[in-house]
Amino acid sequence: MLSTHRLRVVAGLAVTAIAAVVAVSSGSSATNATTLVIWADADRVPAVTQVANAWAAPKGVTVQIVQKNFGDIRSQLNTVAVETAPDVIVGAHDWVGELSANGSVLPLSPSAGTKKQFPAYALNSFSYGIAVKKLFGAPVALENIALVTNTALAKVPTSFADMERQALAAKKKTKAQVGIAVQQGSGGDAYHMYPFFSGLGGYIFGTNAVGNLDPSNIGVANAKFLKNAPLIDKWNKESLIRSQVAWDTGRDLFTKGKVAYYITGPWFLSDIQKSGVKYAISGFPQIVPGINSVPFLGVQGFMVTKFSAPHGVESLAKDLVANYMMQPSAQLALASANGRFPANLKAAAQVKDKDLKAFGKASEGGVPMPNIPQMASVWGDLGAAWVRSTKGAGAIPARRSFIGAQKSIAQKIG
Amino acid sequence: MTSVPIAADTAVPNPSLLARAIGFFSGPVGLAIKLVLLAVLNALAFWAVGVLLADQKWIAALAVGGATLLIDLVYLVPDKRLIPLKFLVPGMVFLVAFVVIPIVANANIAFTNWSTGHNLSKDEAIVAIQEVSLVAPADGASYVMTPAEQRGELVLLLVNEATGKPYVGTEDGLEPLSPANVTIANGAVTAAEGYELVQGEELAGIDQQLSTLLVPTGESSFVRAEGLSLAVELQPTLVYVAANDTFRNIETGVVYRDNGKGSYESVTGTTLEPGWRTHVGFENFVTVLTDPLVRDPFVRVFVWTFAYAFLSVFIQFVIGLFLAIVLNKPDLKLKRIQRAFLVLPFAIPAFLSVLVWAGLLNDEFGVINQTLGTNIPWLFDPTWAKVSCILVNVWIGFPYWFLVCTAALQAVPEELTEAARVDCAGPLQVFRRVTLRSCSSSRPRS
Repeated sequence: MLSTHRLRVVAGLAVTAIAAVVAVSSGSSATNATTLVIWADADRVPAVTQVANAWAAPKGVTVQIVQKNFGDIRSQLNTVAVETAPDVIVGAHDWVGELSANGSVLPLSPSAGTKKQFPAYALNSFSYGIAVKKLFGAPVALENIALVTNTALAKVPTSFADMERQALAAKKKTKAQVGIAVQQGSGGDAYHMYPFFSGLGGYIFGTNAVGNLDPSNIGVANAKFLKNAPLIDKWNKESLIRSQVAWDTGRDLFTKGKVAYYITGPWFLSDIQKSGVKYAISGFPQIVPGINSVPFLGVQGFMVTKFSAPHGVESLAKDLVANYMMQPSAQLALASANGRFPANLKAAAQVKDKDLKAFGKASEGGVPMPNIPQMASVWGDLGAAWVRSTKGAGAIPARRSFIGAQKSIAQKIG
Repeated sequence: MTSVPIAADTAVPNPSLLARAIGFFSGPVGLAIKLVLLAVLNALAFWAVGVLLADQKWIAALAVGGATLLIDLVYLVPDKRLIPLKFLVPGMVFLVAFVVIPIVANANIAFTNWSTGHNLSKDEAIVAIQEVSLVAPADGASYVMTPAEQRGELVLLLVNEATGKPYVGTEDGLEPLSPANVTIANGAVTAAEGYELVQGEELAGIDQQLSTLLVPTGESSFVRAEGLSLAVELQPTLVYVAANDTFRNIETGVVYRDNGKGSYESVTGTTLEPGWRTHVGFENFVTVLTDPLVRDPFVRVFVWTFAYAFLSVFIQFVIGLFLAIVLNKPDLKLKRIQRAFLVLPFAIPAFLSVLVWAGLLNDEFGVINQTLGTNIPWLFDPTWAKVSCILVNVWIGFPYWFLVCTAALQAVPEELTEAARVDCAGPLQVFRRVTLRSCSSSRPRS
């Protein structure tokens, strides 16, 4: 009896072990073709698929495109396992500081001829380094906000005073709560308020002698800005702008024809077109003479991750990103597929879409969003300063509000 | 308790379903299923041990292998004493996988500096620092590159972008090529005598060789492929000295030492990026307790978390109980409909209610302020926002307590309250002495 039992145990182990060995060996004997993994967001998947496959086909490479939420690409890159990690990612230029400080992306060296086809700020915004500044991404598309005018209610403004007058007149006519729709919401939105911020003389970080952003020089409450800050209190009093307008209320105010002016980016263009409101897109007029009112620039592009080396596709990935993706034809295909202005100057000259061109024109003189990690301490405080000063009744004078924000930011950066 | 309660009252002539199932699975069928499941488990374990051994994680490999063998033995050795384990092992495996390991891993991370700038292992960080320190030398050239093979060895056929002169780059160095022997088109070598170009689908196969091939051009400078058609001359600005684990800046001579906190640091306090993950003891906890920038928000959030939990549950309960008592009056009309209305907030998915409330509470356009004619910053003022949170949560949660209390109240015998009233107890007294007491003893166990 005992021997049958023992036999059963041994037989059982033998059977399972053989099954296991067979399973494992058949699993690993599958041939491994060279595959390049790209992480892209839903907007860009079709364009990236097309461009990357055109590159890959003659090289005997398979491209695998994984769709991710845009923000997840940045956060998941920190924790992803090597086996499932991407070789190339789509990203925004202001991720570069964090990703390179983490060693997650590799520096690139495109040829001098390729670099010449890009505006200096586009390359600069994808460059990072404390001692040596290196390029970490290939810029593909520019993204910025612009002034959208409801041409049935008002004309494209010739000056800020003109804009203010027309906005308030339209507000009276439509009985809207605000004159200019610009989104803030309870958490604030320093990005959408930047044309006002820069137009009043504000800046976020100064630059040092080498031309790098200097986090110890914070210009949120610089003297020039504080001198002009009382204008914010005036706008608050006349309800020209209001912090209660969130992204959805702002969009609805414009698409329902309640406001004359709307400050937004290309992502709401299709909503505006669907609404049937007649519109014109332009840059921002100067608020204070001599100071340009400009938007923040977001530059989007591709980066090569550190995982491409262990995956054995480092040179391939670098060729795709730093060579192929930077050429005018790929740039044009990528940028127009999701309605953004291409970064490559030769491609930009070929853009035909009128709205896209207008957004591109509004980007002139714009400031790339700071790509240093310290920027993370700025968004909340700067947005909150605007909320405090533009919330209607009970608003805090802008001077005090922005001095407070400057202090809080400086404390966080340390 | 009877031993087989499920089948006891189903009056069937032949043996119960359960008994038949046990009989069926006890035989060879059961053994076959068991072997298949164990085979799957073993296959997974084999694969996992293989991966772990390849990564040189010996302890983990031993643990996985040992645990798998023990599980096999539990299910295969016919010993009566192992029978309880057959039932316990699956539970224990899941307990370890989903409870113990996450807790240990989280606690372990709390003692490291894992954060932005400290995301790599030390070895990876050393490689990354060297890579980032590479710069083009002052007279550095860039080349249009064509990978090629010479006697089975990978070489780079290069054309200087500035001068247009052809070179061949090997592990030994850069040699000029005689222009007579090469064909150059569009700035790139398209054919060369004695060399076989790597083209088309072959490119995918040479990647690893290509990215690691350094063509020395000077003491520390070299030419390296960047992609498939470009090579640039680079030289490091930092050199790693393995003997004493330091980085030295070649130009300035500044030495960077391991500062024990996951970074190389110079005497002046500048650190090199990236750093690496390392254990830092209680530093994170000290920061939470001593740094006012972290401590103050932490304490605020901590206190509010408890206050929020207590206040919302307490108010939900009070309102729920109150409404339950009101609607428990025997002579109330349309009781069921009224109750149904009160349960409605519970029936609407919470995330919908929250969205609707966010709109209602908007201080400029919201219905609440417009109806009341007030200008309360429901969502914009820190204190009012807290009030709004509790208000909305109470709205979502009170029907639960209303249902629970109604159920409890209905279990209170009417004779008791009647008797109390006959004894001249006031309504409050009846509530406190009779209703609440009977409720609390018959509280549903949830």
